[in-house]
Amino acid sequence: MSDRSFAGRTAIVGIATSDFRALYGRDPERTREELATHAIRGALEDAGLEKSRIDGLVTGGTSHYEPIAYRAGLTDVRFVADYPSAGRMCAVALMHAAMAVEHSLANYVVLFNSVCFRSQQNRFGYSSGSTGLMYESVYGMASPGAQYSMAFTRYQHLYGGSEAQLGAFALAFRKHARLNPVAIMQDELTLDDYLAARYIARPLRLFDYCLVNDGAVAYIVTSAERARDLRHKPVLIGGTAERANFREWYVDLEFWADACGSMKRDLLDPLGVTTADIDCLQVYDNFSPSVLWGLEGFGFAPRGEGLDWIQDGRIELGGELPVNTSGGLISEAYLQGWNQHAEAVRQLRGEAGARQVPDCKRVLYWCLSALPNASLLYADD
Amino acid sequence: MAYDKPLPVPTREDRPFWEAAREHRFVLPRCRECGHVWFPPYESCQRCLSFEREWFEASERGVVWGYTLMQQPYVPGYRDELPYNVVLVELEEGPMVYSNLVGVPDDEIRPGLAVEAVFEDVTEEFTLIRFRRAEEPSGRDRT
Ligand SMILES: [Zn+2]
Repeated sequence: MSDRSFAGRTAIVGIATSDFRALYGRDPERTREELATHAIRGALEDAGLEKSRIDGLVTGGTSHYEPIAYRAGLTDVRFVADYPSAGRMCAVALMHAAMAVEHSLANYVVLFNSVCFRSQQNRFGYSSGSTGLMYESVYGMASPGAQYSMAFTRYQHLYGGSEAQLGAFALAFRKHARLNPVAIMQDELTLDDYLAARYIARPLRLFDYCLVNDGAVAYIVTSAERARDLRHKPVLIGGTAERANFREWYVDLEFWADACGSMKRDLLDPLGVTTADIDCLQVYDNFSPSVLWGLEGFGFAPRGEGLDWIQDGRIELGGELPVNTSGGLISEAYLQGWNQHAEAVRQLRGEAGARQVPDCKRVLYWCLSALPNASLLYADD
Repeated sequence: MAYDKPLPVPTREDRPFWEAAREHRFVLPRCRECGHVWFPPYESCQRCLSFEREWFEASERGVVWGYTLMQQPYVPGYRDELPYNVVLVELEEGPMVYSNLVGVPDDEIRPGLAVEAVFEDVTEEFTLIRFRRAEEPSGRDRT
């Protein structure tokens, strides 16, 4: 078990997200720096914090930290970390910001991720070059989605379950997105619509896949003590966890059971938090089976029974365990887990409006990828 | 028509593998120090980091772990094949390899299928190892 002794000693105090829906039209001159600057300004306003207090910078998605620091006029920075734009880095970046604050490397750290995938017409899914990837691409294998698809056929072979059952994720997230004005996907989605959509890598369909869009999310991390002087009720950082088992086939052959068990022991057990204490999940839905395996791995659903477990509204607002209340990566926007953290903060402040989870006290995030990671945020009582 | 799909780019790390494949032999690297067998053929053992590897003739047999049917043109040259299968095969020797199943209709592909290697000379220089349904059920058809 890891030492989690600084749980609750740091907090997220300001958040901002782009209007993802407004940004969905392509603009070839849009830049990640521009989107990040908007988000940083929004996070400062939300926190009620003077920009001059920012002394830490954690970046994701930009090609370099300097162009954004110039634009944001950050002139007194004592802590900088620069991460690649990748979902697996989201909770990692949060952890490093919290550690920097806990150890007084910086007092107020601004973090952001900024992407222009749609305007820059990024093509996802095919790359070649390294030894490992070459042994896939010569056979026409490409894209993480195809890897999740392959693992889903294995899962069905072992445990059964239908494609229609898997659709419960896409349907729930779309319902939630329709309560979120900045979510990209606003049209009603029925099971027939889900099943009629094209396959990308069979058995996964279009609405099992995350969006490709532009946008940014920023938040500010400081100590819990300083946070109590700011505008909003602090959202405390319970902790983060990582657990990687690096193998060439990307997906975990046991559907991340070990990784989830390990992260649960590191993140929840030391705080005495159980699955029953989690009020909602804001988790990484790059591809819908990823959510299924996290539900089983963290022990929300029995192993092999997750597809039955998610039916009948259980993961929808009003259900037992609302999941991805802003619409997630599949229906709100693909901001690589950063939008999930922003939604967690809104829920814990009680500011989620029509999609508010009543009396929301604890929110769990996970991302099951080549570098699985998780975080726990909770309300300051 | 010229072969327009991705081709291997061998290096000293894996050149022996591709040279053997061209001779229709399926070889795998094995550690001389600890006996571990691995794939892709890195120069060093994943278990003990020894660089003393040897090549041995694999059984050419395995079992399908999972599969997908690719329906979108992600990979150059594969557009005309759509939809096509990709399988992850667990070799009898332990390692997992990506490949394609040949001669098996899409609706008969399933995890647990026992398979054996076939060699396809895709260019003068390169042979790819694909798999077909095992001719003699090995009794290893399993989940
Ligand atoms: Zn060895």
